[in-house]
Amino acid sequence: MNKTLNQKAWLFVIPVFVLVAFNAAIPLMTVVNYSFQETFGSNVFAWEGTRWFKEILHSERFHASLGRQVIFTFIILLIQLPLGIGIALTMPKKGWGVPVCLILMSMPLLIPWNVVGAMWNIFALPEIGFLGNSLNSLGFDYNFTQQSGDAWFTTILMDVWHWTSLVVLLSYAGLNSIQPAYYQAAEIDGASRWDIFRYIELPKMKKVLTLAILLRFMDSFMIYTEPFVLTGGGPGNATNFLSLDLVKMALGQFDLGPAAAMSLIYFLIVLLICWIFYTIMMKDEGRS
Amino acid sequence: MFTNLYAATWGEVGKAKEKGFFDFDLFSWMAWTWQTAAFFIFIALCITVMFIWEKKVPGGSPRKGILGLDTTRGDRLFVSLLGSAFIHLFWLALVGSVLWVATIICLGYAIIVFRYV
Repeated sequence: MNKTLNQKAWLFVIPVFVLVAFNAAIPLMTVVNYSFQETFGSNVFAWEGTRWFKEILHSERFHASLGRQVIFTFIILLIQLPLGIGIALTMPKKGWGVPVCLILMSMPLLIPWNVVGAMWNIFALPEIGFLGNSLNSLGFDYNFTQQSGDAWFTTILMDVWHWTSLVVLLSYAGLNSIQPAYYQAAEIDGASRWDIFRYIELPKMKKVLTLAILLRFMDSFMIYTEPFVLTGGGPGNATNFLSLDLVKMALGQFDLGPAAAMSLIYFLIVLLICWIFYTIMMKDEGRS
Repeated sequence: MFTNLYAATWGEVGKAKEKGFFDFDLFSWMAWTWQTAAFFIFIALCITVMFIWEKKVPGGSPRKGILGLDTTRGDRLFVSLLGSAFIHLFWLALVGSVLWVATIICLGYAIIVFRYV
């Protein structure tokens, strides 16, 4: 047994290393460097130690935007998952309806984020927008530019419109991979529609649903463009989510040090939750 | 040569600086300090040690730890580092000073993770 050792494959990995270095490692290192220093630009920095971390951890503003972010993500998951699964269950399994439904479902996913924001902004304007005008004509006092409740309603509605399709498509793929034999067995056993869903479809969709939760969590936790275009974080700070607040701090106020500390804390939270999801997914992998 | 690795002090703000070895424009914007450089060197060392360890004892010594998770050496390092970051953050939030105590706690935490998780 003489195996020749060939390490040539490593050469082909080099481009990836270079790419990751430039788009992840170097920026991240810079953020770490910035988070311990104060700067007024022109590459002059002064050491501040852990001051920014302490300030951010005790800052009311950070707590508020983190709270808003968590609530937003929670509401998004609470609405989009059941809705997505529900739509996937009612979608046709064969015939001409399949491509029609699939194309209709993927349409919102294809629209760029800032276009979605602009669309919904115009759509929801109280005087001229179809949604805003209709709601006001129906007697609701709706104005998303002035009332925080309305701003939240519009932002959530927009995100549901934009991203429920992703859950639908994933669930639909999961549903389609279930063998007909399971349904036949359930029919013989006289299982009700709910039993079929609870004991066949849901367990079989577990993997894609974990993926859907992870993707929807990440996207909604890091949401920036859509609320930026729709509400700009307003009225006041009502829809000022974490990444909006971060950009305001970094580019609006040019507080690069505190913003770097905040983005590291943000990054660690995202990393922790991703790890938890990854662990849950891999745990099932090992068992099966 | 290494003067630029140290952070500037408030007295130097606004003054023109002498150009040192690391002061070419491609690099100076990264604002290196010896503390943060030491941190990344530590991370690089960790990865190197893991690499050597893997060469000596291949397979990553997978096991089911006290949390009921299947972990390898790399998982344990990740859990140690991520946990240490949070321990430091909590320490900063709740105590605020003498951060090295948190570092010692992290060391203990890492040993426990590598031993039992």
